Amino acid sequence: MKAILKKLPGFVNQIKDIQEVIISNILLIGQVPAPTHHEAARIEIFLERLADAQADYCATADFNIPTGIIRGTSDGTRPPIFVVAHMDTFMSAEIDHNYVITKNTITGPGILDNSVSVGVLASLPVICRHLNLKFESDIVLAGVPQSIGKGNLQGIKHLIDTWNGPIRGAVIMEGEELGRLSYYSEGIIRGEIICNVTATNGWEHRYKPNAIIILNKVIDEILTMELPQRPLSRIIIGKINGGFKHGVIAYDARLGFEIQSDSEHMVRRMHSEIKDIVSGIGHEHHVSLKLDIISSLTPANLGFRHPLVKTTVTVMKTLGLHPVTDSSESELSIFLARKIPAITLGITEGKNVHKENASMKITPLFTGISQILGVLKAIDSGVCDE
Amino acid sequence: MNKPWLISNTFHHSEFKDIKALVHAKNQQQVTISLCLPTLNEEKTIAKEIIIMKSELMTRFPLIDEIVVVDSGSTDNTLDIAAEYGADVYAAKDILPHMGHYTGKGENLWKALFVTSGDILIYLDADIKNIHHRFAYALIGPLLLYEPIKYAKAFYDRPITLDQQKIRATGGGRVTELTIRPLFSLFFPELTQILQPLSGEYAGYRSLLENIAFPIGYGVETSMILDIYEKWGLNVMAQVDLDRRIHRNQDTKALGRMAFVILQTFLKRIEKQKKIKLNTALFNEMIQYRLTHGDYEAEKFNFAGTERPAMIQLPDYREKFYPHRPGDPGATPPTA
Repeated sequence: MKAILKKLPGFVNQIKDIQEVIISNILLIGQVPAPTHHEAARIEIFLERLADAQADYCATADFNIPTGIIRGTSDGTRPPIFVVAHMDTFMSAEIDHNYVITKNTITGPGILDNSVSVGVLASLPVICRHLNLKFESDIVLAGVPQSIGKGNLQGIKHLIDTWNGPIRGAVIMEGEELGRLSYYSEGIIRGEIICNVTATNGWEHRYKPNAIIILNKVIDEILTMELPQRPLSRIIIGKINGGFKHGVIAYDARLGFEIQSDSEHMVRRMHSEIKDIVSGIGHEHHVSLKLDIISSLTPANLGFRHPLVKTTVTVMKTLGLHPVTDSSESELSIFLARKIPAITLGITEGKNVHKENASMKITPLFTGISQILGVLKAIDSGVCDE
Repeated sequence: MNKPWLISNTFHHSEFKDIKALVHAKNQQQVTISLCLPTLNEEKTIAKEIIIMKSELMTRFPLIDEIVVVDSGSTDNTLDIAAEYGADVYAAKDILPHMGHYTGKGENLWKALFVTSGDILIYLDADIKNIHHRFAYALIGPLLLYEPIKYAKAFYDRPITLDQQKIRATGGGRVTELTIRPLFSLFFPELTQILQPLSGEYAGYRSLLENIAFPIGYGVETSMILDIYEKWGLNVMAQVDLDRRIHRNQDTKALGRMAFVILQTFLKRIEKQKKIKLNTALFNEMIQYRLTHGDYEAEKFNFAGTERPAMIQLPDYREKFYPHRPGDPGATPPTA
């Protein structure tokens, strides 16, 4: 491992030497829209690029999950290492996905979450050849669909659950922010509260209720809930929409929220409280008020003392990065829940992550990729094998 | 019975996607290929074109030998960006400075003949938002794989960008349908088979391009087709369907000016070919009107119809490309 750490800073400029290959992959894949559940076109081009990069194997598993393999030297005696990036984005297919490149930036919808990572994933066979980097384990490059939002991590769940044999470890790539190190996931419940007010006048309403006002009452009640500092627990009110036009009361409204906590018990308790609030307000106002659960995750933590985390910190520091730990409720939680050591890393810097003018910096990307390679080498050298 | 040109010489880009086969043909024929991007304030799109072409057609497959940007005087970061990503960058005014300088795409294309070295040149507009390497390899394909073909031109289903976010599914080509197609129908019906004669992407052998004159502005696409047709016939030409091209939309007034220059170029050529006789000199000004503070104000745009001579006629050029034959006019025109 020491030998690799020594070489690592030199990787940055060597990777820059083939920047046009990496940027081309980011462009050609990222410019294909891939809203969740509609990733097929992007998957096709991703596979094409993997094949062009001469990955040793590339195909789609069932569930249309595209995977490529960089064959290891151990002839399959060592379990594989996974590198994962989610294929889907929050951006609708209607939006113009043509990116703009300047001297040091790429700008366009979905670039940071997560097109840059998918482009890098497709470039890894070329990068490893260019650096003459070999691994004992097979490196499985997986672009997972149906990840974010209502995708509810279905892609990665399916891939891991149907994978034949053990997995040595995994690295999950996210576009931003370089320096991010996630090795634990909070427990979450992501849900929607949907309010429908019947459009016809019935005897039960003297004054027709307004769906937005009803949801406002729900929010008020949620805000009175007592949330402990330890285990750290919170409720995020993340989305709201409803109504038809300015002069007509809203018959429909929808509230998106997420419960987050280090403790599974707290997640369940808060969910139960919200359920009571919803049923109470629905009953009180004679409206249809429903709570739908979109997704849920149990908390998982690799622990700071795990050799993978400690080695990753060393890799990052060798590259001049200052690790910032944060939870990640993504593919990471699926690996950790199945006792597979895994971490999530950011690979570049940027801004406006979820806006149409999201923008990433090109120069830090080469450090971000070097970091991924350093961690893969660490896993390959056995830090996850205990 | 021979197939009509439209069938025999129209291709789809997918027919040339085996880039390895193109590289093989290129090596067998021992030719070199230059990509030229004429620019004027293209900072939003130039990097993409260079990066993708360099990655796919130079690094991965050695099909293109050089990428050259010839600029008309950009005031944005076009030149910096192009140089950053490894293109050879030239200001048009610095090429053959004793020949003077005009601003226009045709001028850049003409001067590119002097600074590039390839036996085949590909010209691509630098404002293509959905650039893909097929824009280059599919135009090179017919030249390398089909013996008589010396010049290939692109056509598309051309969506145009209406605003920041919306793209109209079909459209574009208004000047083609309202100006050039009626003119071809009247004077050269055979040329109507060229579906988008004004498309800005084409590839040709140097031996052809150095033997034709280049109007300095919008007329260059029209003149190229008419001159190649006159000298070598339709069979040296091909057209390739490149599917979609997304580019900036131009307003009707700008298209009007483009149509003016195309008409100017066209009339000049058909008079030279004695197809018509004009009894009066043509005016050089396109006059358009706009309403300003309740008054109609004339906007006059001068288009002198300047043309550059066939490059082969320049001693500098002959000395550079045919040093062993200083008095020789150079290339032998290919046979149709």
